[in-house]
This record gives sequence, structure tokens and C-alpha cells, in this order.
Amino acid sequence: MLSDKLICDIIDSAVNSGADLAEVFVEDVRYQSVGMLNGRVLKADSGFDSGYGIRLMSGTNVVYVYSNDSDEKVLMKLTKEACSAIKKGDSVNIKELEELSRSTMSDIRIDPLDISKMEYVDFLKKSSSIMTTYDPAITESTCSLKTTNRIVRIMNSKGINKEENDTRIRLAIEAIATKGNEKQSSRLAPGTLKGFEFINDYPVEEKTRECCEKAIRMVNAGYAPSGKMPVVINNGFGGVIFHEACGHALESTSVGIKNSCFTDMLGKQIASPVVSARDNARIKGEWGSYSTDDEGNESSDLLLIENGILKNYMIDELGARRMDSKPTGCARRESYTYAPTSRMSNTYICAGNDSHDDIIADTEYGLYAASMGGGSVDTATGEFNFAVDEGYMIRNGKIAEPVRGATLIGKGGEVLMNIDKVGNDLELSAGMCGSLSGSVPVTVGQPTIRVSSIIVGGRDSDDSNEDEE
Amino acid sequence: MDLDFAESTLRKIVDRAIEYGFEEAQAAYSADASMAVEIMFGEVSSFENSVGRGISFKGKLYGQMGRSHTTEFTDEAIEFLISSAADNCKVLDDEDPDFIYCDPDNSELIYCPVNEAYEKNTYNRLVETGLSLEKNLLAYSDKIKAVDYLRISCSKGPDIMINSKGLRVFKDSDIISIIAGCRAEEGDIVKSGSEFWYGKDIDLFDEKAFIERLASQLLPKLEAKSISSGSYETIIENEAFISLFGSFVSNFSAYAMQKGLSLLKGRAGEKIASDCFSLTEIPMYEKAVNKVPFDAEGVLTYEKDIISEGIFKTALYNLKSAYKEGRKSTGNGFGGTALTNVVVKEGKRSVEEIAMDIGEGLIITDVSGLHAGLNPISGDFSLLSEGFLIKDGKKADPVEQITIAGNFYDMMLNVKEIANDTKALPGSNGEFFSPSIYIGKIDVSGED
Repeated sequence: MLSDKLICDIIDSAVNSGADLAEVFVEDVRYQSVGMLNGRVLKADSGFDSGYGIRLMSGTNVVYVYSNDSDEKVLMKLTKEACSAIKKGDSVNIKELEELSRSTMSDIRIDPLDISKMEYVDFLKKSSSIMTTYDPAITESTCSLKTTNRIVRIMNSKGINKEENDTRIRLAIEAIATKGNEKQSSRLAPGTLKGFEFINDYPVEEKTRECCEKAIRMVNAGYAPSGKMPVVINNGFGGVIFHEACGHALESTSVGIKNSCFTDMLGKQIASPVVSARDNARIKGEWGSYSTDDEGNESSDLLLIENGILKNYMIDELGARRMDSKPTGCARRESYTYAPTSRMSNTYICAGNDSHDDIIADTEYGLYAASMGGGSVDTATGEFNFAVDEGYMIRNGKIAEPVRGATLIGKGGEVLMNIDKVGNDLELSAGMCGSLSGSVPVTVGQPTIRVSSIIVGGRDSDDSNEDEE
Repeated sequence: MDLDFAESTLRKIVDRAIEYGFEEAQAAYSADASMAVEIMFGEVSSFENSVGRGISFKGKLYGQMGRSHTTEFTDEAIEFLISSAADNCKVLDDEDPDFIYCDPDNSELIYCPVNEAYEKNTYNRLVETGLSLEKNLLAYSDKIKAVDYLRISCSKGPDIMINSKGLRVFKDSDIISIIAGCRAEEGDIVKSGSEFWYGKDIDLFDEKAFIERLASQLLPKLEAKSISSGSYETIIENEAFISLFGSFVSNFSAYAMQKGLSLLKGRAGEKIASDCFSLTEIPMYEKAVNKVPFDAEGVLTYEKDIISEGIFKTALYNLKSAYKEGRKSTGNGFGGTALTNVVVKEGKRSVEEIAMDIGEGLIITDVSGLHAGLNPISGDFSLLSEGFLIKDGKKADPVEQITIAGNFYDMMLNVKEIANDTKALPGSNGEFFSPSIYIGKIDVSGED
């Protein structure tokens, strides 16, 4: 889209205008998706998007311009505006662009973009044919499959010249169960950086049936109770608790401006001693992985917390300048329409020693959050909320009746301190994370954990299943 | 880009599509130019400027409506647009027909409300406004320790659409918005709060009122505490109510009803809310920043009751869902269906007067986690909330770390009174105007 000569000219103009770092980001995205509703193909889409972003930095002053119009006149106008807006900083030498180096964290045998949309449909029909006939209680169903190939190139005045090329596939299956006026949905959405072989090997029939069962179970469930109680959170997507309650507050986007409850806490106890956690972008084929970040730095496997002690923050270039530190290779953005910021990749609580069954057996009364929905956090205060998609009461050390409609709320720092059991069954689960630089693929993860006390926002129900006690 | 060139490219695409074999075809060009500044520590921390454009195509082939999109304007890109839409038609298997439309009496739709005020949005003006706002926010109270986020942005851009049935649409729109997030501290207690303004003329931004609004919701939070779980008589403040209601708006779409995804299916003419609750869509509402004379399918919009004195009057239809029921589109076709500008009818009394009657209860000022803590189909919700207790009929202690939980449909039937303090929040195709709503009792979870 943009020639190397043009890119070098932009970098030259930017540095001559007073920028101490000039960066050009070029992105090309190809995608293909198919979606079904109630057994019929209602969506089929394919296309490509491309664009570029030019970032100038002078100390902590940032100018970002972007466009998808590769007309040289548009580009030069935007560059000129960027150069006139940047604060005049220390003069720096421009390093010659290194030889282009290419990287990926994709692990692909069969390129999913080589597979026809009709084959996507054939695969999805395996799921939709089960959902449409499974049980009269399953009244609606959706499923979709989307592949995105993203190639980005990052060049800057420090000589960085990198290209990252990753292909992601995501499957989504949702079954909706109806009982009278009640509707409950159950959803699963695995994502991967592997090729179409992941889809071919995926036990879609078995997983679809589980999804239907869960929707039927939840539509028949009573409401969750209200108040503070112990909560056991299942492995996998349960890690959203750590993502929301702690992960966001360890990003330099908030730590760098002291807008985090974990500012200036390196080396201090911020979690219970049973908690260790990592942000590891270097797991080949994992949904949240990448090899080179959107600033051209190599990604990392970062130890965030070790036995409750805070070890590292996730830091991008701007954060590094604010914190007088170094970037950790965690700068990400949804697309060229965003300047990069510090973001999570595959973030998880490390495995502990207890078994899932022992943790349940050790809990006399509480809530078992078998599957979590999404949530959000205020990084300044640590206040978070997230939804329990599939919940059960724990009574006398046993999983009892299903309950629905529970939301867990609390403050990140307190919850981390209140984790008193960590299981040995670590699992990762795909998701999307929205923040300042848009929506990016991440995995969350954890083994089964128990929080000794957390506020459960449920509803006191007239038809609670007390008869099962 | 030259708009004449853009329009001639659209014509070329439509002509080429018909030649290719499409029965009907439509092409749309959308451009956007935006600028944003962010202020931090008394200086510009970030400046953004952008120019974007794209072409989308839809065409009917084999009875299916195929769609495609590109950002390129070359002949190769046009071929890609048409061939990939045709490929999509081969895969699609939709039993309900979709349409490309032109009303012969309204085949030329033009709406350009952008005025000269937009020219005031220069870099210097945005910076000056931002620096002043940051300075005065910090000066307002020594408890406000930082302005963590302050962004002023403006954007405008024309949209052109033409189709093989003879429709030609030209639309331009603009907006400027200001958002600020502050952190307040007292001892070990840290709280944050934010405020938002949008409009079409930066001269109309009232800094003092903005700061008052932000501070009046932020500073009381420093004293906030959780409360005991229980059932509380509750007023949901205007903005919180708009956020909550907005999360359930998809249930009013006829498409959702036809697909079994809305509990409002078949309930037109029935009572779905309390008698005191009326909701009217007024696309050209005088108080709205942007008016909406026609929808994205080229159908004229019009004023209509959605809920009138508690009775559900009409679902929202686009061309496709209207055809399925043998009726006309309601002018709500925006991709799927969406509301334009909507207004909840005001009551007569203030929140303070209603609180006097309640005596003991709760005012909810903010709800969080709307994307996660509610089931948009069943209407169940359980949301992290903040607000104030009502004690002896007066707004009293601030409240934090609670959830309110209930069911949207039950809540609407239980509404007791509508206040007279209307505010607006923007949605994707218009604004939602609502006063605060006294919803009766609701379950609250907090500290026991």
C-alpha cells in the first residue's frame, strides 16, 4: 500500500518536526464468515480492509493520524498536520530501517481462507441440525464461523521493520431454551490461531449437545440468592475474574498515570500467597497470542504475580516513558484506527495444588460459578462486576440446585486477597477484550478457585429450590 | 474525495452488477473525517486526525441478498465487490425475501444539516477548550486529584447511496463530543466518575454546568457505602434508566419477534407497561442534535407511539420484516432495525417531590456491566449500581457496591411515576430522551 521510500520520508519529516519517535503502521485484513439462525444460512460475508496509522511521540506527547485512503495527497496532508501538532522535543538520530523480519504465532496446517464458504456451512450444519431437533425446549439457535487474517507491518525511526501475520478462527454456538415467558441462552465460542484442522477436529456434536443441556438446565433454574458468600469459580473462562479484577489494573495505560489501585505496588503483596499469574503471549496457536506486538516489539511471557507478590506490569512505549521503564511487548490495537496501548494476551492464574472436587467438598455453603459471562472494571477503584452464566448452589460440600441471574461484584484488591483455594486444573478460554485501543482477541484462564467471600447479586426468589436442601 | 467521483463510482458498480446478472443492486459510499485531542497534565497528550471512506454493495441474485464491502475504488475492487456478493448469494438460504427500495414520490432524498459552526472546531479551539476544562475540574475541589481522561472529538462525513430502482440519497452529518473522567481521593478512598457532552456547536458547551454535573456525581461517592440486601422502593435516575432500557430495545424489533428472540412477539395492542409510561419515536425531534428524515433503506421516517399509556403500539419494521407480515416498513431499517430519536413522556413532579412520597428508598444514579449482567431476551438483570438512599423523603447517604436485580418486563408494568427531569443520551441512530422513573420495589444485594 505504501512504498518504503514514502514511509522513510514520513519518518524523516516527523523527526525533523521534533518527534523523538516516528512510527508507521500498515494493516491488511482479510476475512470470511458464515452465520446460521434456526438452521438457515442468513449471513455470508467476505472482504478485505486496509489502512495505515502514523504515530509521532515527543516525550509523553502523542500525535496519531490514520486513514484507509492511500492517495499520496491524503497521506501527505495527514503527515503535515501531524508534524505541526507534535510538541518539539529533543532531537534524535533516525536509524536506518532494519531488514524486514516476519513473524507469526499462528500454527496452521490448513489455511481456513482456502476453505470455501460452503464448507463452513457444511460444518455449521452439524451443530445447527442438532440444535433444531434436540428438544422442544430449544426454540432458537445460532452458530457462526469466522476467519480473519491480519498482516501488520510496523516501521519506526529506531529502525524497527517488522511484520506480523496471524490468522484466527472463531466458532460460536448458542442455544436458547424457552419455558413459558422465560428464555435462557447457553453459548460457547472457542477461538484459535490454529488452522482449519482445529475445526475438523473439534467435537462439535458433543459440545452442541452440552450447550443445549445447559440452556435447558438454566431455564428451569431458580434465581440466585443475594448477599456475601464463598464462591467457587470453575476453570477456563472463570479467569475473566482475574482479567477484570486485576489484569486491567496492571496495564500501564492506568498504572502510568497512577489511575490504578496497583500503582507503586511492585514487590508488594497484592494477592493471597496461593496466587501466581502470568500474561503469556507466546503460546503457539493460542487465540490471544502474537509474536510481535503492534509497536514492533517481541511479545513476552510475563510473570505478573508470584505467590501473591506483584512482579511486573504490562507496559507499552507510552507507559514506559511515563513509568521510566521498558516496554514489555504488550502494545496492541484493534486496527489502524487506534493508536496502540498496553493490553493483555493470554492471561491466567497459574495452577495450584487442590483438585476441583476437593475444593467443592471443602465448601459447606456457597455459589459454584460453573461458567462465567462477561464483566467490566473501574481500574482506579478496582470495582468490578461480572455475570455468572451457569451457577449452582453448594450445600454441605456438594453441588446442589442450578441458579440463574447472579452477578458477582467487588473490589479487585480485596478479591485477590480472598482467594483461598487454587486448583490444579488450569484451562484457557477465548474471549474479546474492549479497551482504549479497541477490541482485541485475548484468552482468560485459571484453574478452579475459591473466593472466601464475595457479594453475589441475585434475586430473592419465591420459588427457590429449598425443597432440595 | 471528490463527491462527484464517488457518485459516478457508485453508478458504475450498480450498472456492472445488473450486467453481471443481479436482479436489483444498491451501492453506498460513506466517508468520515474526524479530529480528536486528549489533554493530560496541562498539555495535549494526544492528537488524532483521520480520513476514512468505504463502499458497501448489496444485490439480489437467486432470490438472496448478497452483501460486500471495500475501501478501494479501483476497477479490480469493483469486480471483487460484485463477485464476492454473488458468492455470498450462492451460500445464503434465507427463506424471507429482502428488498431494494425506491418510493417514486421520494426518489431523491437529501439531508445536509451541517452548518458553519463546524468550522469552529479547529485544533487550537479544541485544545483551548480542553485545557480550560482540565484546569477548572482540578480547581473545583481539592478532592479531585486527577483528570485521567479528557477527550474532545469531532467528526463529519457525507453518505451517498444509489440503487437500480432509481433512488438517490445524499446525507451529511456532524457532531462534536467532550468526555472527561476524573479521580477523587480522600484518605485511602479512591473514586472515579465521568461526564459527557455532545452537540453541533462548541460555543454551546457550558463548562461550568459540565463541571457541576461531574462533581455532583463524583464527590458524594467518597462517602458511599454498601447497604443491606433487601427490597427497596427505587427511583432510577434518567441516564441510568436510558442505559437500562436501551439494553432491551432490540426486543421491539419485528425481526427479533419473527425469529422468536423477543417476548414481545404477538403482543401489539397489549399492556406491557404501567399506564403512566409512554414512549414516542420522533425522528425530527426539535431537541435532538441530529434529525433523521429517512432510514438506511431509503424509507421516510415518521412520528409514532411505541408505547402509549402502557399499551404496546407497534414493533419496529424494516422492509424485510414488514413484507413478512404484509405491512409497510416503519422507517426503522438501519441494517437491522433501530430507533431514531425517542422520547419518554414526562410526568409532572420532580424527583424530590416523588422522594417525599416514598419516604424510605433508593435513587439509582448509575448501572454498570450492561453487556454482561442482563439477559436481553428474558429481561432478567442483575447490575452493579450506585446511588443514594432516600431517608425521610430526602436524598441522603451515597450508596456503592450493590446490585439491583429484576426483570425488565415486570419492572415496566410496575412503574409508579415518571419524573419531569428529562435528559438525553445518544444511541447509534438518534437520541433517547427520558426523565427519571420511579419503578416501585426492586431487589438489592449488598453487605448483609
